[in-house]
Amino acid sequence: MDVFGSFALVLAFVCASYALVGGICAIRTRHPLLVKSTRQAGIATCGLIFVATFSLFYLFFSDNYGVAYVAAHSNRDLSSFYKVAALWSGQEGSLLFWSFLLAIYVFSVLIAYRHKNGELMPYVGVVLAGVQLFFLTLNNFIASPFKSLGVAGANGAVDLVARSDGSGLNPLLQYPEMVIHPPNLYSGYTGFTIPFAFALAALLARYPGEKWIHLTRKWTMIAWAFQSAGILLGAHWAYAVLGWGGYWGWDPVENASLLPWLSGTAFLHSVMMQEKRGMMKVWNVWLVFCTFLLCILGTFLTRSGVVSSVHAFAQSNIGPWFVGFLVLTILVCLGAYWKNKDYLASENQLDSVVSRESSFLFNNLVLLVSCIAVLSGTLFPVFSEWFTSNRISVGPPFFNKVMIPIGLLLLFLTGVGPLLAWGKTSTESLKRNFGWPSIIGLISGALFFALGVREFYALLCFMLCVFVALTIFMEFYRGAKVIRSRGGASLIESAFDLTMRNTRRYGGYIAHMGMVLIFVGLAGAAFNRDVQKEVELGTVIQIAPYDLHVQGFDTKAEKNYTADRLIIEVMKAGKPLMMLYPERRNFPANQENGTMVAIASSAVHDLYVVYAGRNPETGLPVVHVYLNPLVKWIWFGGMVVVFGTLVALLPNRRAVLVVAAGTQPATDSSTLTPALAQHSILKEGHD
Amino acid sequence: MTKRRILPRVALGFVGAALSLAISPAEAQQTDRAKQIGGKLLCGVGTPICQCNQILTQCNHVGCQNSTAMLKTLDKRVAKGEPEETILQGFVQEFGTAVLSEPPKTGFSLVAWIMPFFYLIGGAILVVFVINRWSKRPQQRLATPNHAPAVSADYLERARAQSARETDD
Repeated sequence: MDVFGSFALVLAFVCASYALVGGICAIRTRHPLLVKSTRQAGIATCGLIFVATFSLFYLFFSDNYGVAYVAAHSNRDLSSFYKVAALWSGQEGSLLFWSFLLAIYVFSVLIAYRHKNGELMPYVGVVLAGVQLFFLTLNNFIASPFKSLGVAGANGAVDLVARSDGSGLNPLLQYPEMVIHPPNLYSGYTGFTIPFAFALAALLARYPGEKWIHLTRKWTMIAWAFQSAGILLGAHWAYAVLGWGGYWGWDPVENASLLPWLSGTAFLHSVMMQEKRGMMKVWNVWLVFCTFLLCILGTFLTRSGVVSSVHAFAQSNIGPWFVGFLVLTILVCLGAYWKNKDYLASENQLDSVVSRESSFLFNNLVLLVSCIAVLSGTLFPVFSEWFTSNRISVGPPFFNKVMIPIGLLLLFLTGVGPLLAWGKTSTESLKRNFGWPSIIGLISGALFFALGVREFYALLCFMLCVFVALTIFMEFYRGAKVIRSRGGASLIESAFDLTMRNTRRYGGYIAHMGMVLIFVGLAGAAFNRDVQKEVELGTVIQIAPYDLHVQGFDTKAEKNYTADRLIIEVMKAGKPLMMLYPERRNFPANQENGTMVAIASSAVHDLYVVYAGRNPETGLPVVHVYLNPLVKWIWFGGMVVVFGTLVALLPNRRAVLVVAAGTQPATDSSTLTPALAQHSILKEGHD
Repeated sequence: MTKRRILPRVALGFVGAALSLAISPAEAQQTDRAKQIGGKLLCGVGTPICQCNQILTQCNHVGCQNSTAMLKTLDKRVAKGEPEETILQGFVQEFGTAVLSEPPKTGFSLVAWIMPFFYLIGGAILVVFVINRWSKRPQQRLATPNHAPAVSADYLERARAQSARETDD
């Protein structure tokens, strides 16, 4: 099966090469057969990547330890559930998995648009084939997951060997979220290839209008939703597994996932400027280019070892390949832009500083500044070493100090932006939309202060959360009230109807509400408490309202590990509340230890108990207890963000179609399809 | 062994036990000051032992020789009442500047602190400039710098109509 998988990858490489070279020829000659054959080569590439990936899955499930990658990342006792995750737990497999997810997107695009968009698709096919070719080069020649295990034999020959069992999966990855976090994150990374390909294709083809934006809107939102879910699942994994009491440590790998999310968020907002007003065309094209480039840059940073990271399992000497691809992509983007920049001229003017357009500009500014700040902070240790021969660390305190004010500014714009009118906002409208939310926001600030909230940023964050939540609530309320007055339905039914009439706008508001909930959760970190103690039987650890009684220790033997458990009874006001069992696991296959944190979570706070192991000096178990307020709001907010994005992906329930009769003049129609000369259909606009 | 000899030994044992407890890594985090100063240091810098790069007081790798030793040193110095700056400098001398969890606000490191706010302020000025410029620009200016039309308004309108027909957005 390893030979089969390897052969499929080689064939995929050949097909992708043909799709790229043949595609360029097809664009030049416009020969229909060549166009068709290159599209089919693109589809075949995807099919072959699927075959290769399923071959690797088969090798894991059949415990084939003659394959080096399988032997290094699995063992017989590993559960089937984690054998799935083992596929992307190392460099070679994760790169194949990357190709696999990209192939799903490419396959979907090539199939969905096989009879449509004839003027754009050959260009799109070429760009997608180019990206696939890069990853297939890595899969085939640099980091093949199908290499057999061998030992140096006599006369310099390599003898193939098969081990009876593998080294096992990294214990940190043996956690349910690790089965869903990387696929989500990688789906985000790879998904941004689609808007990138369409943007570059539209630029190269000089295709007028916003068709590439319309075509890629859902792809961009799908990629963004995956990226958001992936980031949050990663944060939850770090929280539940790493056992340091936090969920975001500003690790370079975490930062790398945040970078395309930030620029992708900016892109999702700024495209509305182009759709509504025909403005910011250059900006949008470059935003989507940068988002794709940041995906590649992030991968380079985390796999090259340029910056230190806890994700060391993914590091290798693969960096120069990513640098080469990055440079090549930048050159292609610059060349395409330079040659066709006149086609990106803006059409409209701005009427007022107090307008939706301006708010989008500021929103983009803040998102981009966040992106640059995170990127420069991540790379600063490298720069400092270059310039001063002295490595300077940039850890969480720096990022918190820089990013908290920027984040709060973004939260403020989340509340303000959507309620400003396109063109110009009147003073009356400002009073109507922001009067009550501002007043109630200030009152809530005073209330929080009276309740003892003295941390400046936390107080400001809570105030802004109230303000933004109210602006969103009022938008739903006003719209639902109008529908209710017409139809007589209840307010909730009317709000639902309102959402389904303009899913993009109200789905966006739901996503904004999710962000508000996330910010509430983040502000809770200002009030974290922790206690660390060496414990014996009967030791009581006090933290805020809880008394944790150490009741005992036991050992639990599972198939793949042995767990030392602490048995802790949690009491509140003298009454028993619950039992917690924090674990310390030992995995004999790879002789590594892992923690399993016991978390009692509520909307108010998380009681987070870590059995950190035994102090080598005293031999006593060390327990670290944290009381982390409002953490649950982050996970719930994340779900709301993804739900809002899914709502925004739904088609509007009642689109207003206006059919204008008449034929369009025939001028300049040579590069467009014949369908262009028929009736035009205007659709309900989106906000 | 006489009672007179046992007593000092028992007392010495208690003192020893108390001292060992006082400098154990677990206890090092019990004082707010140690926690606050430890928050400015990283674990695992410059050694291959524990490269977690976590905040020193958050390193949960029990048995990590780095954090254990560093926390002991920290606790001793805090117990001595040394000023924060002296304690941090002591760690810098031993491990280099990379031991600090944030860049110092001096010299080249100052760039790290200034740049984000420079981007923000510079960007805001740029946005205001762009808004100003765009608000003065004549409408429907679809022309290249040499005033030759890149895409005609009619052509663009028809492309948009086609896009509306062919996309379900």
